[in-house]
Amino acid sequence: MTISETNSPFIALSSISKAYRTRAISVPIFDNLDLSIEKGEFVAVMGPSGSGKSTLLNLLAGLDGPDSGDIKIAGQRLDHMGEAARSAWRAHHLGIVFQFYNLLPMLTAEENVELPLLLKPFPASIRRERVAKTLDLVGLCGFGRQNPSRLSGGQQQRVGIARAIVSDPTLLLCDEPTGDLDRASADEILTMLGYLNRELGKTIVMVTHDPEAAEAADRILHLDKGAFVERARVMS
Amino acid sequence: MRSTIRQITAMSRTTLLSIPRRLAISLSMVGSIMLVVCVLSGFLAMARGFEITLQSAGSPDVAVVLGGGPREEGNSEIPPDVIRSLMATRGDIGVLRNDRGVPILSREIVVPVEFRTDPDAVGETLALRGMDETGPGVRAGVTLSSGRPIQPGTREIIVGEQLAARYSGLGVGNRVRLGPVNWIVVGHFSSFGSALESEIWGDIDAVAAAFNRVGEVQSLRLRLAVTDQIDGLSRAAAEFVGAQLIALTEAELYASQSAGTARLVRYFGWPIVLLMAIGATAGALNTMMSSVSDRTVEIATVRAMGFSRVSACLATWLEAVLLSVVGVGLGLATSWLMMNGWEASTMGANGTSLAFQLVVGRDAMVEAALVGLAIGAVGGAVPAFAAARLPVTDALRGRG
Ligand SMILES: Nc1ncnc2c1ncn2[C@@H]1O[C@H](COP(=O)(O)OP(=O)(O)OP(=O)(O)O)[C@@H](O)[C@H]1O
Ligand SMILES: [Mg+2]
Repeated sequence: MTISETNSPFIALSSISKAYRTRAISVPIFDNLDLSIEKGEFVAVMGPSGSGKSTLLNLLAGLDGPDSGDIKIAGQRLDHMGEAARSAWRAHHLGIVFQFYNLLPMLTAEENVELPLLLKPFPASIRRERVAKTLDLVGLCGFGRQNPSRLSGGQQQRVGIARAIVSDPTLLLCDEPTGDLDRASADEILTMLGYLNRELGKTIVMVTHDPEAAEAADRILHLDKGAFVERARVMS
Repeated sequence: MRSTIRQITAMSRTTLLSIPRRLAISLSMVGSIMLVVCVLSGFLAMARGFEITLQSAGSPDVAVVLGGGPREEGNSEIPPDVIRSLMATRGDIGVLRNDRGVPILSREIVVPVEFRTDPDAVGETLALRGMDETGPGVRAGVTLSSGRPIQPGTREIIVGEQLAARYSGLGVGNRVRLGPVNWIVVGHFSSFGSALESEIWGDIDAVAAAFNRVGEVQSLRLRLAVTDQIDGLSRAAAEFVGAQLIALTEAELYASQSAGTARLVRYFGWPIVLLMAIGATAGALNTMMSSVSDRTVEIATVRAMGFSRVSACLATWLEAVLLSVVGVGLGLATSWLMMNGWEASTMGANGTSLAFQLVVGRDAMVEAALVGLAIGAVGGAVPAFAAARLPVTDALRGRG
């Protein structure tokens, strides 16, 4: 590892510009946006609807590309990779947690959690073991054979988290992970994310509308009109 | 590589497990492919059955002599002096002779006759063949299955099994009106289900007299000494310069007749099947497009995890192929169970009716299966690419 890489942040976005173009108009989302996130940080992103929070996560996930600017994660230039390389990159470095869980309804909880492991060269026995361990970690021991539709919202989201972390990625992206949950379930999920961040060292970027949820993070970024307004936690 | 296969397997599994959500449209695709397979194998079975019936009718042991040019009995004419000369030949012409050394020969004419089951019914045209007493014996494999042979010079007839089975009015002992006179059915003959069984046989002089064709002979039947060795007879026939005789085996005669009709059935059948196949392909495309839109969120979710485009593409294509395999399987099973051996009838030679069985053969099944699979493979290709190119971010936002 070179010195510059050691010193550069885990996630570094510089001068990102992004606009959505339809035939008639162009809607600018980001204009010269910069962002850096350190390894092991837990960052919450807030902001009004349409401010570009999901777009930011899509850029970090390599699901979308910027019009201009650099995206560097763990020393790799995401914006220089092709489609297949970005897929492979996601498989190795990234877990995603969705607002509506996005569990595959025809698969059991276990099979859902196993999916990301299929992208790696693990034999079936190791896959089974890791799935069981991960379900255990999110407190769903014994629920593996259940169909997602038989689980509560909070349980489904825990399956979603298990699926996101089962292949041990360094970065977790969560788009309103508690947006569809009641307070108690939301708190459970936030506690779990906090645990994953502190104990397992996951870097987490979480989009949320809920100020209480944002409190779980180390740092809160406010995205408004395509730029960050950073505030200290104590002040919010 | 292993990971690619695992991705494709997992994607395919979830895809197939989601079929119950769109059961109706999936079944419509299966059904339309099944229909195409049934219709195509139906046409092919018809053509094949027709060929088999006519080919088996013609024996390579039996020679047919036609005169006047055409290669079919209807317009053929043999002058009487030719018959006399042929019977008088002493040289080796490759045909069987009786114990007096005379070639065994049957003079024959075929007359189309109207047959009515009852006086008010619409008549069906059947072939009444007048022949010499030697006629049945000259032919290979003809046996009397009931009754007795015809008395020469009388208005007695024997009826082929196929006809006898179709019309109860042609039972042994019955009196039937064919043309201007009444005939008595004295027997039934079988020839292993060949086209001969669609004929009625009578005495040549009685037939000629009843239909004002006294003295006319359309063809001669002789038994070859050696199977398929027609050359001797051909040379002898060529010597009657004015009569334009052709000698050929009965097998050749029927084969040339069946080729035309079988080709007609196929040429008529294929365009219909191709039109239907185009329709079914459009249906398959529609079904698979709705499969992709039904699975949009699931595809986007696993793509966001890192599943490849290839796996999304192949899983979708596999669904299409699998549905078409089901359609092909059902179609083949249906056509085999329902059509194979089905009795049909069509126009045979001389404008008369000819009974034959549909034969769903291996070639027909393979052709129908390939067409069915092609419908799924082609109809599924565009949706498969749509699945591969699905815009993941839009799909995850719920705008898929
Ligand atoms: N594919 C697209 N084509 C055109 N406009 C788009 C597209 N995707 C997003 N947008 C627009 O970009 C803007 C930012 O969208 P984004 O989803 O990132 O917002 P958000 O902050 O996540 O909003 P929310 O809180 O409602 O989820 C919105 O105005 C949206 O309408
Ligand atoms: Mg959003």
